[in-house]
Amino acid sequence: MHISDGVLPVSVTIGGYIAGAALAAWSARRTESEELPKVAVVTAAFFVASLIHIPLGPTSAHLLMPGLAGALLGPVAFLAISLGLLLQTLLFQFGGLTALGANALMMGLPAVACGWIFQKFKGKTQVGHAIAGGVTGASGTAMAAIFLALLLATGGEDFFGVAKVALLAHVPVIIVEGVVSAFTIGFLFRVKPALLESSFVRHQKTVND
Amino acid sequence: MVHISLWYLPLLVLLPLTVLAIIAVWLRRVAHRQSIAEEEPDWSVPALGDEEGGISPLHRWDVRCKIVTILGFSFVIASLGHLGPALTAVGISLIVSVISKVSLARVLFRLLALTGFLGMLVVVMPFTVPTHSGDTLVIFGNTDWLCLNLRGLLLSATISARAVAIALLMEPLFSTAPLPVTLHGLCRLGVPEMASQSVLLSYRYVHVFRHEARRMSAGMQVRGFRKRTDIQTLRTVAYFLGMLFVRSFERTERVFEAMRARGYRGRFPEPVELRMRTMDILMASVWLVAAAVLITYDRILF
Repeated sequence: MHISDGVLPVSVTIGGYIAGAALAAWSARRTESEELPKVAVVTAAFFVASLIHIPLGPTSAHLLMPGLAGALLGPVAFLAISLGLLLQTLLFQFGGLTALGANALMMGLPAVACGWIFQKFKGKTQVGHAIAGGVTGASGTAMAAIFLALLLATGGEDFFGVAKVALLAHVPVIIVEGVVSAFTIGFLFRVKPALLESSFVRHQKTVND
Repeated sequence: MVHISLWYLPLLVLLPLTVLAIIAVWLRRVAHRQSIAEEEPDWSVPALGDEEGGISPLHRWDVRCKIVTILGFSFVIASLGHLGPALTAVGISLIVSVISKVSLARVLFRLLALTGFLGMLVVVMPFTVPTHSGDTLVIFGNTDWLCLNLRGLLLSATISARAVAIALLMEPLFSTAPLPVTLHGLCRLGVPEMASQSVLLSYRYVHVFRHEARRMSAGMQVRGFRKRTDIQTLRTVAYFLGMLFVRSFERTERVFEAMRARGYRGRFPEPVELRMRTMDILMASVWLVAAAVLITYDRILF
């Protein structure tokens, strides 16, 4: 879930913009500047994947995928996620223009952390990959939910109740996200293991040269 | 503190909420149907902003001026603390939307996207806001646990008004110029050229991959796949995602090689030459006055 315009205190949104821009710049420096078009196209793929709805009893949830993005892209995931959020604001008004920085931090930091965890613990077998994928998928969403609650709580004690409800609402999504990530990573391990190397963009560069 | 008997609860709280939820779901369904019908023929040529130069003052406004002014104005709206000024801001945004002749369907689509998050705030906040002295509480019957705090309702209404006011400004900001021109303006304001190029490319390929995803899911439906709440659905969706990633990462490589083959060295040609005129500055100062009035209204009159 993204934070809309007008919810957070202005100081938090501006701080989010500054921190988000600094991290995006760091993330962009992790790849060759000429290769950034690739990041852009990959972002589009994640964007489309995040539009898919999964039925959950009477309602449905869409995947957030900070975990998968981190596992597949590594540190570049922060840039890709910021870009994706900007596009969501442009196209659908999910999130908002003023809350963009805060939303990027909320989704991007867990993604980078997940990427690191995934590379550390994936092992060499398909089962190992799938388990690591499931754990990163679930923990990525969990971290994002905690971040969301903390950001909401910056609004003062009036927002504590909403923060709790938002955190609880993410529990089923965390489970679904973990299961789907495990299956997706397992699938990718069989079909195209090159995608699961430390960072797809960097890896492909060494292959091309 | 106001005591009313329990049977008012369905009348005052549940009924309006249900009606609102039904309207939102219905509108979303209508919008969804329309978007599919509209997008299907020309998915490859997404139009965010019309190419014909437009007729409204916002179409003619210098894009750099427009971005800085509307972004600044959005932050001013986000800082408003009372319902009255926030509703005034909604009024201003509505007037701007009418002046800039944006499409009503897209404005509605944007507002619908807000309903999820704001709906949660409006439902949750009145019941969870801590009670301060001077708050008006509405207590239903003899229940202790169900107590509606009007201050929470006011707060969530203020937040919703701010969000709606800013969301209404997005169509006038983004659809009154073609996306490449808006991004070019951003570059001239100091945003790295790489960032704006990436947005442009992603924007293009979002539509390509959506088409691809739709084709794949059509194939799945033909083979009898139906979404349910079970592990089998999750597995199938996961494989679907995996396949989408494999296909799109491979396409990424092909796109990049094609760009290199056509001489791409990290730059695109400039789409337009930007020129600032007195009118542009005048427009910006009108907005500035509006922002100042809103802040004064918010801080001094309350």
